[in-house]
Amino acid sequence: MLLSALIVLPIVGAVGVGFLPLNGGQVKAAALTLASVLFGLTLVLMVQFDPTIAGLQFLENLPWLSELGLDYRLGVDGLSLLLVVLNGLLTLVAIYITEPTVTRPRFYYSLIFLLNSGVVGAFLAHNLLLFFLFYELELIPLYLLISIWGGARRGYAGTKFLIYTAISGILVLAGFLGLTWLSGSSSFDYNPALSQGLPIGPQLLLLGAIVVGFGIKIPLFPFHTWLPDAHVEASTPISVLLAGVLLKLGTYGLLRFGLGLFPEAWMIAAPWFASWAVVSVLFGALAAIAQTDMKKMVAYSSIGHMGFVLLAAAAATPVSMVGAMFQMVAHGLISGLLFVLVGLVYKKTGTRDITVLRGLLNPERGLPIVGSLMVLAVMASAGMPGMVGFISEFLIFRGSFAAYPVQTLLCLVGTGLTAVYFLLLVNNTFFGRLPPQFSDLPMMTWAERSPGLLLAVLIVVFGLSPGWMSRWTEVTTIALVRDFPTVKHQVFLQEASDSIPVQPL
Amino acid sequence: MTTKPLSPIVPHPFESIVQRLSVGDGLLPESETNLLEVMGILESYGHVIRAYEINLRYIADQQFLVLFPFFKYMNGNVTWARLLQHWQHDRINYEFAEYCMKGMMYHGGGGLDAYLDTPEFIALANQAIGAKTSKNLLVRGFNTVSSDFLLEQVRQLCYYRVLGQFWDIMADLFFDLADRYHQGKITSIRDVIHFVKDGLVAAAAVPIYYSVDIEGESYEIIPKSVGLTFLVDAAIPYVESVFFRSLPFMGILSYNAQAQQLPAEQSEFVYGVLYADPIPAGSAGVPPSLLARDLIRHMPDYLLNHYRTFSRGETDLCVKSIISFQKSMFCVTSGTMIGLAPHSTDSIDPQDKAENRQHFTAWIDRLINSRSQLEIVQN
Repeated sequence: MLLSALIVLPIVGAVGVGFLPLNGGQVKAAALTLASVLFGLTLVLMVQFDPTIAGLQFLENLPWLSELGLDYRLGVDGLSLLLVVLNGLLTLVAIYITEPTVTRPRFYYSLIFLLNSGVVGAFLAHNLLLFFLFYELELIPLYLLISIWGGARRGYAGTKFLIYTAISGILVLAGFLGLTWLSGSSSFDYNPALSQGLPIGPQLLLLGAIVVGFGIKIPLFPFHTWLPDAHVEASTPISVLLAGVLLKLGTYGLLRFGLGLFPEAWMIAAPWFASWAVVSVLFGALAAIAQTDMKKMVAYSSIGHMGFVLLAAAAATPVSMVGAMFQMVAHGLISGLLFVLVGLVYKKTGTRDITVLRGLLNPERGLPIVGSLMVLAVMASAGMPGMVGFISEFLIFRGSFAAYPVQTLLCLVGTGLTAVYFLLLVNNTFFGRLPPQFSDLPMMTWAERSPGLLLAVLIVVFGLSPGWMSRWTEVTTIALVRDFPTVKHQVFLQEASDSIPVQPL
Repeated sequence: MTTKPLSPIVPHPFESIVQRLSVGDGLLPESETNLLEVMGILESYGHVIRAYEINLRYIADQQFLVLFPFFKYMNGNVTWARLLQHWQHDRINYEFAEYCMKGMMYHGGGGLDAYLDTPEFIALANQAIGAKTSKNLLVRGFNTVSSDFLLEQVRQLCYYRVLGQFWDIMADLFFDLADRYHQGKITSIRDVIHFVKDGLVAAAAVPIYYSVDIEGESYEIIPKSVGLTFLVDAAIPYVESVFFRSLPFMGILSYNAQAQQLPAEQSEFVYGVLYADPIPAGSAGVPPSLLARDLIRHMPDYLLNHYRTFSRGETDLCVKSIISFQKSMFCVTSGTMIGLAPHSTDSIDPQDKAENRQHFTAWIDRLINSRSQLEIVQN
């Protein structure tokens, strides 16, 4: 019942904060309390989770519309556990950093809880149709959160987001329907064996639909154009959720439903996916270099960093798969921190333009703590040792090099470029002399700094002790690729297993 | 009696300030806030320069030619408790006083600079050097090889002493000013300026001198007979060096000499207090920060309470205190300018007024500079 509670409680909460006669401050307090409870529940789930079991745990299976093949089938494994916890954490952060003066607060917090519920449901669903329902459910609150509480071009950004992600949903649904109908199954329950009987041609076609569908959500080049607009127009808390959790639905879908459901086709298409990852990584990095808006720069960096997950998934070695999961969580923490910090800079200075901002590290009149955290965040994002970004990128590159050396090396260039654009950001924005127009910025309180500090601590802690994170996911991710059919892959597996002690990390 | 024809008055870019000075007001506009800040910071500054002058005079008198003065900031009281306090940085930043001393020595000016190059000084200094090094063969040998080294050290010690003496008098002046303010006798910026001016004029003729005791015998380095006096030989060179010029590399911004960011002439230097950017650029331990911390250490409650009411409360006290310090130094400069004016600002004679105007515009012209804080303190 714990999994259902994680889905139902936010819905109940959404109704509660939406309809109870509370004022703005009370709504926020209630929302914070509920978000804390939900995050606490995810931690309970984590504690009770047995990391030595590769399969589903906490299984909940209720017949719903069996004649349609739709059952209420929930479960958690190493692939979804950390993402569920991350969702709980970032929802709490998003609510905490929401301005007390937010307009229509009851509606706003209701939508955040609906979003939370949809995302958790998608991560926990083990019925393809149920996943699709949750996957679509989260679109509506997110669309409204961008379109109502966004910036000047929120309508445009919201609509673009909706169109792109709706197409993503259609492609994913088409893939699911095609797989179920062509395999002759009467149930939409998640079953990796479904594709085994299909000829390779339909398999590739269905995999293509699913990968493009999730590729839009991740997003990968050239389906990325909705993301920078959505980020720029969304308010800071929504950007945190968007980058931290929502994009992970795409990478999670790629691993669970692309690689998991079509292992044979995946192995054939994998070299192309690896090359696609290179294009996405380099495009994201080069586009980020050209940006002058801090938020857009971070948004393009997300495109680049999500490309690493595709590379790791294409390689599909035990090490790269652990790296992929690590990267998903690491990116959630790092991009969450980056957006929190960019939001604070914008709140205090009124601009995100790196050609205008300067000297914000000034210890007296600038934003020294925010600046210091920004330096830490960009170092983590660029994969500096000692932080979580290094672990994930190292695992991905180490795990992928044997399979795709050229693509891996090109992606390494992308990591180098991350340092380039983030150094540009930090150098322009935080170093130098504080200009007169920013010489009397409003005071920053510890309450405002605390979410950033929390995320920074996690980034460093998991960077220094990666085993505390990888232990939850290793067994599942390794099992996912151990069943791969190709002989070639078995060789990779053997090589990787011999050369790298993947467990414990 | 003939009078020179009066030239037509051309409006000055800072005409309103020239007008204010011409009638005996200051560079800083009148306002209650300015008065509160100036009085608060001068009261604090009185305590700070009292500490500075005690240490400067201690170094000049007690650390005479001590070539490795490890405990020069201890004022002779070296205990573990004091050392621990010092290492925890629970102390006055005496280094700032030394920066000012070096600024004065670097720019020179006044009778002291001229005296230090005279044979009389060299003879007196060599006597003291001989006495001090009589039992130290190593240093004696060293002095024989490089005879100017210890002499230059003594010149520097003269500046320690002179600046100490100057600040001794100024500390008394600022404490008196603070007392009068608390008694309700100082109610405007104009009052502050004229109190400072009167104090400077009253102390103008106080002799500047320096002698040291070595082995129970007194050695004169700057005898009173030389005739150095407070105003001309200490106050004016101090204002020139520290307020207007200061040191090129000791400010809060660094300058690249190779990129010709430094003027070729020392007289064109604009790194003094009146130009200093109060926003630190991130580096630690630079002089304005050192002074600001000392000012905060002795800040009176009424000024602290005032600072708490605006901007970032107590988190940017360094910047606030430096801005107030600049305001107060504009008042001291005003007092000096009015004190040095060729005629009283009360004079109604057009010729006197014209000459005064010429005097004031010459001073203000030095403050027309892109980095001057004069315009900023007007708001």
